[in-house]
Amino acid sequence: MAGAIEHVFLYRDPSVVARRARLRLACNLVSLALAAVVVHWLQHNLGDYPLRILNLAAINVILAVSLNLIYGFTGMFSLGHAGFMAVGAYVAALLTLPQATKDVIFLMAPLAWPFNVLSAPPIVAVVAGGIVAGLAAFLIGLPVLRLRGDYLGIATLGFAEIIRVVANNIPSITNGALGLKGIPNFANNLWWTWGWAAFTVWFIARLVGSVHGKALLAIREDEVAAEIMGVRLTYHKMISFVTGAVFAGIGGALLGSLITTIDPKTFGFMLTFNILIIVVAGGLGSITGSVITALLYTVLLEALRPIEAGWRLGPLAVPEIPGLRMVVFSLVLLVIILFYQRGLFGGREFSWDWLIRKLERAAAGTAATAGAVERRTGATADAGAESEAQATRPGGGWSSTAGRGTETGGRGGASKRAPKGT
Amino acid sequence: MRRLIQAVLGVTLLILLTSLTALAQSAEPIKIGVYEPMTGAMAAGGQMTWEGIALAHEMQPTVLGRPIKLILVDNKSDKVESANAVARLVEQEKVVAIIGSYGSSNSIAGGDVAEKAGIPMVTDSATNPLVTQGKKFVFRACFIDPFQGEVMAKYAFHNLKLTKVAILKDVAQDYSVGLANYFKKTFTKLTGDPKSVVAEVAYQTGDQDFTAQLTQVISSKAEALFVPGYFGDAALIAKQLRQLGSKIPILGGDALDAPELMSIGGKAVEGVTISSFYSAEAPANEVARKFVAAYKSKYGKTPNANAALGFDTYNMVVDAIRRAGSTDPKAIRDALATTKGFIGVTGSITIDENGDATKDAVILRVENGVFRYVTTIHP
Repeated sequence: MAGAIEHVFLYRDPSVVARRARLRLACNLVSLALAAVVVHWLQHNLGDYPLRILNLAAINVILAVSLNLIYGFTGMFSLGHAGFMAVGAYVAALLTLPQATKDVIFLMAPLAWPFNVLSAPPIVAVVAGGIVAGLAAFLIGLPVLRLRGDYLGIATLGFAEIIRVVANNIPSITNGALGLKGIPNFANNLWWTWGWAAFTVWFIARLVGSVHGKALLAIREDEVAAEIMGVRLTYHKMISFVTGAVFAGIGGALLGSLITTIDPKTFGFMLTFNILIIVVAGGLGSITGSVITALLYTVLLEALRPIEAGWRLGPLAVPEIPGLRMVVFSLVLLVIILFYQRGLFGGREFSWDWLIRKLERAAAGTAATAGAVERRTGATADAGAESEAQATRPGGGWSSTAGRGTETGGRGGASKRAPKGT
Repeated sequence: MRRLIQAVLGVTLLILLTSLTALAQSAEPIKIGVYEPMTGAMAAGGQMTWEGIALAHEMQPTVLGRPIKLILVDNKSDKVESANAVARLVEQEKVVAIIGSYGSSNSIAGGDVAEKAGIPMVTDSATNPLVTQGKKFVFRACFIDPFQGEVMAKYAFHNLKLTKVAILKDVAQDYSVGLANYFKKTFTKLTGDPKSVVAEVAYQTGDQDFTAQLTQVISSKAEALFVPGYFGDAALIAKQLRQLGSKIPILGGDALDAPELMSIGGKAVEGVTISSFYSAEAPANEVARKFVAAYKSKYGKTPNANAALGFDTYNMVVDAIRRAGSTDPKAIRDALATTKGFIGVTGSITIDENGDATKDAVILRVENGVFRYVTTIHP
């Protein structure tokens, strides 16, 4: 919290604040445009295999960021993500399955109304999946959000298991354990997955940065204190929980479309734990951490495959050992947690401030050498004041929203890597 | 200091990774991809299948005068990994055909990728009818659940003269619900009485206590209990049924064909009758005799049905490549589709218009702690 408050008080001059906001917007737009070019190029030049991995990475980004909102920013230990994903995946799948497929895959019991007549374009289906998952979260949230800590974790885990058991036992909607197949493969497209991922990041970053976001952080730090300060606990917890669930549902819908088949076994608790690993390894309360770790996690799992295929390194011959990549992967995780106890990013976020500061300093420098007058002096003075203030902040160009203690370990390690203003 | 350690660790990892990817490249042979659950929940089945495939490769390592290279990719018993694995085999490894996977849900996910890429895929033991449905490039070496359900229902009605049967199925397994469904359909048709399945009760993977369901089965006055689940559950079910004092015969599917059934169930599984793909005791042909002997000398144990199916799947693919006379995936696909009377360990295999194998099933019964061959049922 300290960082955020400094932030507000440091740049009081309204014209400077406005200029920086414009610069930030410009940076965002430029990077978005660049990203769009990159996505376009990749979509047309990559084969199915790397595309599939990148799409999966985007889906993991959506899932990790949404779980981070619930666990990292609001402090609610929820293990229900797989359940929300299942709801979203089934709804979207049933809405997009072609009629011909619906007619042949329901071998045990015919598909029940209304799904046997309903169909929707992919975008509507994905949104519907998210909304229904959100509704489920609202209903389950009413009783369980009163719980805290591990108890909430167990209750939400129970919810996810209930969803799985229900899916097994209503063959007229879910086709039971046989599962659904032939789901249109629209999500095997970078525009779809990364588009949704970008929307998720934007939405949740806005939410966290808003007044509601401050309330969520307050709840995470101390529920009692937050309530005394006038934060409406149930209301804000519900906002966080439902929003997280909506995006989990969207992620589930995209996952179903990416692998074109779902069954209840897909949404076991291991799925939730995989996402939890991403969130914790990336840093609780850091969207940047979740995004980058989700990407690394997905790519690394595939990149490590050659390890278990059997290889030679000089005199050392390693036979084919299936599962070896998971051992190496676990070691990597271990190293991360040992050296970065609060996750890779430990609550820190990426921001454009370092670049803006550099630009301002450069502008001030040229202005000074050109012997520019009055109009520029304001900016120079401002930049000077800023660099002084900056020395007191360890994060450098990284804005910090986390405030859980100030222990050393990971925090020190991470801040060393952070880009410096000068 | 910490920085130094971090830097060293990072650099080592990077060097390791790049050198590994470089080393993984290799020369000319015909590549056949295999994706199986070597780790995770289905690892036991995947590993036995792989043993069968590896043995077949050892016995027939070349085709069209070129060596065959098997590329094994682990799918961690997971759907997403299965799709990734097949995509990797197709693109990175440039395989001409794919074998896999144990577990129907894995095969459905992988089959979709293979179909789109136009690379033929033969699944060894995925019995869910959805696996090949509507796919031109996906085949299987095993029979499907509807056929097996039918076989068991016919055997129960004609040979055992049963008229009232109870079913105890695992609702979380596609295999189990599929088998139960088709058994019920055929059995009620044979008896002409929709109430001839007197009880249909369910449990879920992981359940340990079946007494509630079994009490229901006993009170339904069923003459036999059909358990279309996996061996571990079936062994426990048999034990608990006997403890409750019931002596009705137990019937099951090919998933009971594992030595663990006897080691867990002990005396309680005596007399359990199942349908399966082949019998190591009464090999159907010369190929099967050779396979059983070679497997025993290589691995020091009796091969089960999964190993036999893995063996057959590999040979079926190699046979198709030979008949196609080329390594063009399209030609291999056409050759696979016209497989007719292929003699494998698990009997004669003919691929029908859906890509499914039409083949014999055998009936086995547990006697004195081992499976004894009872009879063969033709399609």
